[in-house]
Amino acid sequence: MDIFLTTAAMFADPYLIGVILVGTVGGVLVGAMPGLSSTMATALLLPFTLTMEPIPAISLLSALYCAGTFGGSITAILVNAPGAPPAAATAFDGYPLAQQGRAGLALGIATVSSTIGGIFSIIVLIVAAPMLARVAYDFGPPEYFALALFGLSMLASISGESAFKNLLGGAFGVLIATIGMDITTGVDRFTFGFWELSEGVHFIPVMIGLFAGSEFLTQAGNLDRKVVRAAIDAVKLPSWPEFRTTLGTVARSCGIGAFIGLLPAEGGTVAAMIGYNEAKRWAKDKSMFGKGDIRGVAGPETANNAATGAAMVPTLALGIPGSATTAVILGALLVHGLRPGPHLFNETPTLLYGIFIAMLLANLMFMGLGLLGAKLFARVTLIPTRFLWPTVFIMACIGSYALEQAIMDVWIMVIAGLAGYFLKRFGFSAAPIIMGLILGELVETSLKQSLIMFDHSWLGFLERPIVVVFILLTIASFAMPAIAGYRDRLRAKMPPSADVPGD
Amino acid sequence: MSEKPLRGGRAAGDRPAARIPRDAIAGAGVLLFCFAAYLVTLTFKEAPQALAQNVQPATFPRLVLGVMSVLATVIIVMSFRLPDKEAKPIHLMVWPSAAVMVGFVIAFDILGILPAMMLLCFGLPLLWGERRLHLIIPYAIIFPLVIYGLFAVVLGVHFEPSPLVFW
Repeated sequence: MDIFLTTAAMFADPYLIGVILVGTVGGVLVGAMPGLSSTMATALLLPFTLTMEPIPAISLLSALYCAGTFGGSITAILVNAPGAPPAAATAFDGYPLAQQGRAGLALGIATVSSTIGGIFSIIVLIVAAPMLARVAYDFGPPEYFALALFGLSMLASISGESAFKNLLGGAFGVLIATIGMDITTGVDRFTFGFWELSEGVHFIPVMIGLFAGSEFLTQAGNLDRKVVRAAIDAVKLPSWPEFRTTLGTVARSCGIGAFIGLLPAEGGTVAAMIGYNEAKRWAKDKSMFGKGDIRGVAGPETANNAATGAAMVPTLALGIPGSATTAVILGALLVHGLRPGPHLFNETPTLLYGIFIAMLLANLMFMGLGLLGAKLFARVTLIPTRFLWPTVFIMACIGSYALEQAIMDVWIMVIAGLAGYFLKRFGFSAAPIIMGLILGELVETSLKQSLIMFDHSWLGFLERPIVVVFILLTIASFAMPAIAGYRDRLRAKMPPSADVPGD
Repeated sequence: MSEKPLRGGRAAGDRPAARIPRDAIAGAGVLLFCFAAYLVTLTFKEAPQALAQNVQPATFPRLVLGVMSVLATVIIVMSFRLPDKEAKPIHLMVWPSAAVMVGFVIAFDILGILPAMMLLCFGLPLLWGERRLHLIIPYAIIFPLVIYGLFAVVLGVHFEPSPLVFW
């Protein structure tokens, strides 16, 4: 409690408040800009934090993460172009509401439900992270190997064209992580004579390239696209009868978002989609869904924000990212000399409390900003692409360079950008590659250590109960997409009358 | 319901059987990549047994390549069982924009960061069809100066002086 109060007192510092405000405003702006996501923004902003102390640096990125998730709803509602992937489901009902002249109400619902989801997720973070960290104290290399494998297997169920493509992307990321000097033997691998690669490929330039570089090329192909913005008067808080109709949806989405966020590799986008589907499934009258039902805004917005804090739980307690953005925050922790995992809770409790408080403040701030300034934030869509994307590309290059001050990192970013664009065309997402790249070192190191522990017998893994649990979970997550696919095919064959009630 | 026409004006229903699904092409590409990467692993030095402890430097990458090959094979097999998706053709502007990406890094290395940024900020909007010089010129001067000042002066990032330009 003393540590919490000491940390809370630190947030009386106007500098720290200013940093969180900058992160929140930046997050809402970035989230509102179609094509820019909070993941990309945190990756681009990371180099700016290099000279900062760890607490303000991580607070800035955490605030940006929370606000960026919310910001996407603004353009999803007004332009029908989700500013960020987690807001994609918000557009289903948000935009029809805006077309009916109820944009203010839709934004009000989005703001309030986002804040509720966000605050709920912070409670989950405060409660669950230390508990998980306590469990993780008993983890040895075999458990970490099994956990990392489970994290990678979860890629099978994240959004994307195909579960197998996501898994392949994850494996490709793990392969990239093997570039450089092998830690145990000192032998160079895949360096092709470039000494700069001996230390390995840092995931930040790869991430910036895969997200910002590939999007730069996508935008180059969309220059003729015209943005049509729905008119907005003023954002208004929903009335009590209006809000009451969303209460059940908000409560359910809080649970859904927090649960999805807790799972390694899953994030706000998956949570929002499930939040929307569940809002529709539980509704007695589904006729207005897709035509402008406020529950269709409240469901995904609560869920994607409820996933933010929850996604920080595995990130902080285990060092396994809960989402693509938390992967960047994990990278930021490493850059600042901190090792995420259970020891973080003993070694730097102030940092953890700092993150909790920063995320809480960010949620309160974006509620104020959303209600007062959504009209202004919506104007970011007016920034011409022909100036915005050269700016983003330069930031991506400088950001990649600033990390190690090496031109090789800029090359890596550009190559990742080009590869990301073509991979995207073939249905491969960037997030699994990043996840694999981050977990790759952990997978290899823990596997090697485990094999040494078990005297090179793979059966040794089966003697550890936690490992067995993770292996079973891994098998289940591999099987889930196949089962879902089979169920969908079965449903498609059924006559409409035989469909499950409520669907 | 009308069928979505494919490239060349064909309807989805009368797609020739000989057409290779996109996922099969992607999977084959991955298999080729895995084979090439496997050949590279053959060039890795062997570590002394005491150091490697039965896990040679090439072991883990080969394991990953094996997993990737299996997944790629599954994707290829599935691609013939699932309907193929038609991709939008690549917009012509993507190619010069990709060249600009590469060109910028070369310019960064040869000319230095500030001239490279100014060139990009001037050239790219022009390439993308922006013709308002009263916007482009201030953008190409002010934005690079602000970014340079922010990173080099405020954040203390060191940019190598280029052989051609002094900054």
